[in-house]
Amino acid sequence: MKIHPKSKVTTLLLLGCAVVAFAGTSFAADKLRVGGAVYGLKAEFANLWAAALKKHPAVKDGTVEVTIFDGRYDPLVQNNQIATMMTQKFDGIVLSPVDYNGSAPQIRKAAKAGIPVVVSNARVNSPDITSMVLSDDVKAGEIIMEEAAKRMGGKGNIVIFQGPIGHSAEIDRSKGIQTVLAKYPDIKVLEKKTANWSRAEGLSLMENWLTAHPNEIKGVIGENDEMALGALQAIKGRGLNVKDFVVVGIDGVPDAINAVKAGEMFSILQDAEGQAAGALDVALRAKVGESYEPKAAVWKQWEKEMPWNGGTEKAYFIPWTVITAENADDLLKHQKELISGS
Amino acid sequence: MQSNEPTAKTASKETVSKSRLAWLTQYGIIIAFLLLCVALTFLNKYFLTPENISNILLQTSINGILAMGMTLVILTGGIDLSVGSVLAFSSIVAATFVTGDNPQSPLVALLVGILTGAVLGLINGCIVAYLRIPSFVATLGMLSVARGLTYAYTGGMPVPNLSESFLNLGEGFFLGVPMPVLIFLLIFAILWVVLNHTTYGRSVYAVGGNVKSARTAGIATKPVTASVYVIAGLLAGLGGLILTARTSSALPQAGVSYELDAIAAVVIGGTSLSGGVGSIAGTLLGALIIGTINNGLDLLGVSSAYQQIVKGCIIVVAVLLDYSRHANE
Repeated sequence: MKIHPKSKVTTLLLLGCAVVAFAGTSFAADKLRVGGAVYGLKAEFANLWAAALKKHPAVKDGTVEVTIFDGRYDPLVQNNQIATMMTQKFDGIVLSPVDYNGSAPQIRKAAKAGIPVVVSNARVNSPDITSMVLSDDVKAGEIIMEEAAKRMGGKGNIVIFQGPIGHSAEIDRSKGIQTVLAKYPDIKVLEKKTANWSRAEGLSLMENWLTAHPNEIKGVIGENDEMALGALQAIKGRGLNVKDFVVVGIDGVPDAINAVKAGEMFSILQDAEGQAAGALDVALRAKVGESYEPKAAVWKQWEKEMPWNGGTEKAYFIPWTVITAENADDLLKHQKELISGS
Repeated sequence: MQSNEPTAKTASKETVSKSRLAWLTQYGIIIAFLLLCVALTFLNKYFLTPENISNILLQTSINGILAMGMTLVILTGGIDLSVGSVLAFSSIVAATFVTGDNPQSPLVALLVGILTGAVLGLINGCIVAYLRIPSFVATLGMLSVARGLTYAYTGGMPVPNLSESFLNLGEGFFLGVPMPVLIFLLIFAILWVVLNHTTYGRSVYAVGGNVKSARTAGIATKPVTASVYVIAGLLAGLGGLILTARTSSALPQAGVSYELDAIAAVVIGGTSLSGGVGSIAGTLLGALIIGTINNGLDLLGVSSAYQQIVKGCIIVVAVLLDYSRHANE
């Protein structure tokens, strides 16, 4: 049989992998162990979020050990990971949820087991969470639509790029956009469609809209930066002047920050670092008790807008930062530092 | 193309109604495409404008290029599920050469991107041809490995700030034709000649038709099998470069599930998933049909949910036509 030696090699390889994997795990008993469950490490935002957890001051000074779990955009995967954290008796869970409803039953189990669950980045439909640290997506929709309306002088035609229909950020950002639109009867929505957060899809969609509505589109409302960047690319590709359009987006991804610098669009920063690190502080406070002092920079930065209040609030909302030509370079540098060496 | 001959031969022997059916299945794809275009012309006044036709070609070019490579693989009776991931990895690697203050020539990026794709394709090809792992499994593995490599390479971050001369690959024009379209049509022309007028092309069909008789006929079946995956990988790399140039930044999440659109184009184009039968011209039409539907439904303001439903129905109908053609033979 030819297969024999081959399968031996395979077994050895697998064993080797297992040994390496075990060697990489440290079993320090005195450290607090916190699981960071993130919706999917395919998004750059999620990578910044995970990097921020790993660079939290409490992790750096050795009091806390953070393990990152990639939810791979699947609520079931994320639930299984929360179950794994429970069997491993983690001291706390920081959860950036895949789905608004999907994790609720598993969160209930964790709460019953006495493990604090602090939600970060997006909301979940569960009464059992310890707290949440995030940015208000309804507010984000309002801010960008208000800015677009201002830049358009309160009138003109717009197209709206929505997130994946039913996604909590899509629902909330659309809601915010609608609230503001109700105030501007002279702004007309020509088209509204999802481009699934994707730049490539936004590009094609904008090309087709430019054809369907020649010389009619004034405003481009992207519910995230990627789709707005795709639209920008379509405008440029068509040989039109970007400055004749009002393009707005949300999130503050590097390319969008650069586009703001070039005066091509407006965007607001969703603070991945603040959301992750802030949530870890709230989780640690729940575990350690009143004596715990928050360590993340985000609490200092927004002392007035988001007071710590003993770390027992049910929700903390991190304000959106408007990206400007002045703060662009600092933001870019900071993101780069966060991701490197993590 | 090749499938033309047996059908025509059979048809001549059969009754008139049979030959009509054969004719319909043979040219159904072209008729479907023309009907689609006529319908959209009536429904939207912008559909049949030069600008919109250029749009459709532009939006079809990346899927079209992937589908060209996929056609060769499917002709040999295989499948390549990894092209979306190979596209992402090649473009990330290539982009790092044309970024920042000191970019290399876009030719370097072009070469690196294509080579990266070809190397991953070669790995696929060797696993399939020499280790005899089914292509579905081998390329399913590569789908995961190449995507993982992409995230590992950049830490999940995109590669932005690419040089202007590189972006020209996606946004530039040559003789009034957008560069991606030109590259797409060039690839089509090359592969059309290769498949229809070279020994290599004939051996690709032969391997997919019947490996044993191909071997008896003196064809080196293993290298031929391996080579189609190299071509598919190489073209995935090229597609990735164009996508990167069009989106002005290499994105690690690019190309997810692109393999499915490529396979759909091949299938709609009448190439049989069991191998040996099909044509590159069919794939060109298949890709154009997908691009035209997406474009047309965008122009009409139809929700993307219906876009997916329409596409799905067309795929199944195309395979039905394919089956009835086989039944004829």
